[in-house]
Amino acid sequence: MSLFTAISISASGMEAQRSRAEIITENLANADTTRTPEGGPYKRKDTVFTTSPVQYSFTDVLSAASGQNDGVAVSDVTIDDREPERRYMPGHPDADPQGYVAFPRVNPAEEMVDLLSASRGYQANVAAISAVKDMIARSIDLFR
Amino acid sequence: MSLDQTGLELGRFLSYLSQRQEVIASNIANADTPGYLTRDVEIPADFSSALFDAGSSVVEEPGLVSRNDGNNVSIDREARLLSDTSLKFNLATQMIRAELKSLRSAIDEGRSS
Repeated sequence: MSLFTAISISASGMEAQRSRAEIITENLANADTTRTPEGGPYKRKDTVFTTSPVQYSFTDVLSAASGQNDGVAVSDVTIDDREPERRYMPGHPDADPQGYVAFPRVNPAEEMVDLLSASRGYQANVAAISAVKDMIARSIDLFR
Repeated sequence: MSLDQTGLELGRFLSYLSQRQEVIASNIANADTPGYLTRDVEIPADFSSALFDAGSSVVEEPGLVSRNDGNNVSIDREARLLSDTSLKFNLATQMIRAELKSLRSAIDEGRSS
């Protein structure tokens, strides 16, 4: 039944947007982190989305060859390799001999805009699920 | 299973709408996927033809503006289609209900309205 597949597709969209929001909040939380296990300051991360087939039932698996109606998944988390921001803080324990400390290049405004976009994307998927749920309820009503 | 031609066509209309809703859900889920192109279900020329049961085809929607990442999903277009499809589905199920009601009335020899 394809209406249930539509719910699975929207659920994959919600999951992807949630992972994206998680990465963005990680960036925001670590905006001032100067120490990481790999050494050096924290590096901001980005998510990359890709289409991925959603299989709800056996017939969907059979028809997957046609490659229709893809859901979405996070295919990759990339690391932003921009040079760290150097701030002059001679008293800081991580300061280099010149007195500069390397801070992650995280722009809070940029992250907030991305977070808004993730949140709107999530809402759009929720709206799609509500619409499909309503359609399924209408179909069930036919039996009354 | 169908009672008459109208019921059969309404059933096909419902299955077209649910397929379309699935495609719209896919477009919304991929609104941030780089390179994803908006898809839509081709409207069958004729719901009365048995050709419909072979399955309608999903095509890429032409004439939409792509963004820098190659994605051309317009959330506004998808939101409109989402409610459009939902309302049409609602309409078709109401029509089927009305038809079943008249059938029930015939079974009861017109005693129940």
